[in-house]
Amino acid sequence: MIDSENSSARWLVGLLQAGDSFYPTGGYAHSFGLEGLIELGVVHDRATLRSFFLLSVLPTLRQAELPLAAHAYNALDPAAPDWARVAELCALAHALKSPRELRAATENIGRQRAELATRLHPHPLGADYTAHAAAGAWPFSAAVSAALEGRILGAPGDAVLAGITYSTLSSSLAAAMKLLRLGQNAGQTLLTEMLAHAPRLIATANTVPLAEIGWSNPWLDIASARHETANARMFIS
Amino acid sequence: MADFHGHLSLRAAARPDDGLTSLAAQSFRAPYHLSKPYWDADTRTLVVQVVNPTAGILSGDRLESAVTVEAGAAVLLTTPSASRVFRMRSGEDEARSLQHFSVAGGGWLEVLPEPLVPHRGSRFHQRTVLEVAPGGAAFYADLLLPGRVAHGEVWGWDRLVLELEVRSGTDLLLRERLDQSADHLHALATLAGSGETASFGNAVFLAPGLAADPVPPWRSALHDLQTDGVWIGASQLRTGAGWSIKFVAPDGPRLRRTLAEIRRILTPHAPHLACDARKL
Repeated sequence: MIDSENSSARWLVGLLQAGDSFYPTGGYAHSFGLEGLIELGVVHDRATLRSFFLLSVLPTLRQAELPLAAHAYNALDPAAPDWARVAELCALAHALKSPRELRAATENIGRQRAELATRLHPHPLGADYTAHAAAGAWPFSAAVSAALEGRILGAPGDAVLAGITYSTLSSSLAAAMKLLRLGQNAGQTLLTEMLAHAPRLIATANTVPLAEIGWSNPWLDIASARHETANARMFIS
Repeated sequence: MADFHGHLSLRAAARPDDGLTSLAAQSFRAPYHLSKPYWDADTRTLVVQVVNPTAGILSGDRLESAVTVEAGAAVLLTTPSASRVFRMRSGEDEARSLQHFSVAGGGWLEVLPEPLVPHRGSRFHQRTVLEVAPGGAAFYADLLLPGRVAHGEVWGWDRLVLELEVRSGTDLLLRERLDQSADHLHALATLAGSGETASFGNAVFLAPGLAADPVPPWRSALHDLQTDGVWIGASQLRTGAGWSIKFVAPDGPRLRRTLAEIRRILTPHAPHLACDARKL
C-alpha cells in the first residue's frame, strides 16, 4: 500500500515519470550515434547491436554519464549546493563529447529536463539552478539535469543513476528498433540483459574521480561526426 | 634498472630583429634530447626534433614536458621514431608522461610525434594538455599502433590511458580519455571491421576564425578520405574555436598516409602545415 506521505513513493513515481518516453525531453529524436554506425554497416542485426551495447553503451554509462551525474548529485546537495562544481560539470559534460551532434543531444535533453523539473516541482534548488545557469551561460547536460531533478524529488543518488541507466538503454533500443529489423520481444530481451548490468555499473560509477571521467569509442565519434552531413537521416544525432 | 625522470622545457619566441622563431629558453634531461633545430624558410617554421636516445619507455619512467610558443613564433615539434612502451613486470610501476603545450595569441604550434607502440605487458599513462590563447593556432596529432605489428605482437598491453585536454583561453573545449584494455579496443576494432592491425589517429586543429564557419568546405575533403578501410570524421568542438579530427586505418602505413592527406587539405587554412617534419 502506498501512503500519501510515503516519500519513497513520491520520488519513485517522479523518476518513473521522468524516465517515461511520454516525458517530453526530446530523447526520442536522438540515436546518440547509433544511426551513424548503422549507416556504416557496423551495427546491422541483433548480435551486432548487443555487441555495441556491451562494448560502447555500457562503458560510456559507467565511465562518463553516470559518474557525471553522481558528482552533480553530490554538488547539488540542497543544504549546501556547490555551484562552482556544478558549472565545472556542465562544461565537462560537453567537453567529453567531441562530435557536435552528441553535445547538441545532451544540451537539448538537459535543457528540457531542467526546465520541466523546475516547472513541475517547485523547489528552491530548481530556481537557484536556473538562475546560476543563466548567469553563467552554462551548457545544459542530460546527466546534470537528471541529478537536479533527482534532488528536487528527494530521490537517493543510486536511484537517480538507475533512472539514467534505464532511460539511456531504453532510448537507444527504441532508436535501434526503428532502424533495424528487431522485434518487440527481441528488444525487451536485450534490454533485460543490459539492465542486469545496472547494479555493477552504478557501483563502479560512484567510485570514478572527477579527473578520471570520460570514455572514448573512436568509431562512434567518427560515425557521429559523419552523421552531421548525412544526406538522409531519421534522428537528430 | 634506474627509473628516468625526464624533463623537457622549451620556450619559442620571435626574434625582435627579424621575426624568425628561435628557442629563447630550453632545458632537458634524459631520456629527452634535442636535435639542432631547423629553420624552414619556406613555411617560416622552426622544426624541433625531440629525441629519446634510450630504447624506449620503461617501467617507472616519469616524463614531463612543457612547450611554450609566444606571439609571432611558429614551431613544428616532432620525434624521429616511434615511442615504444616496453613490457613491465608484475608489481613494477607504470610509466607516465605529462605533456603541456601552450600557444600565445599570434603563435603557431604543430605537434607531430611518430606513433606510440605499446608492447605486450606494458602499462602507460599519458596526459596531454593543449592550451591555445585567443588568436593562437595549433595542430596536434597523436598516432597509436596496436603493438609490434611486424613481430605479430598486437593488442597485448596491460594498461593504456591516453588523456587529452584542450583549452581555448579559459574555455575547456575537449577532454578525452581513452582507457581501454587491449582486449576491449580489439573487440571494438573487430566489431567495426577495422581488422587485426587497426591503427588510430587523433588530431585537433585550432585557428582564429574557425568558429565563423561551422560547415567549412575542407570537412567534405577530409570525409572523402574514408576509403580503402580508413575511417575519418571531423566535428567542431564546443565554442567553435577548434575541430576534432579522428581517423582509424587498417594499418600503420595507411594511418600515416591519411595524416599526410589531412595536413595537405588543411594547409590552405594553416600554411605552416606545409612544413615537412622529415627535413631534419
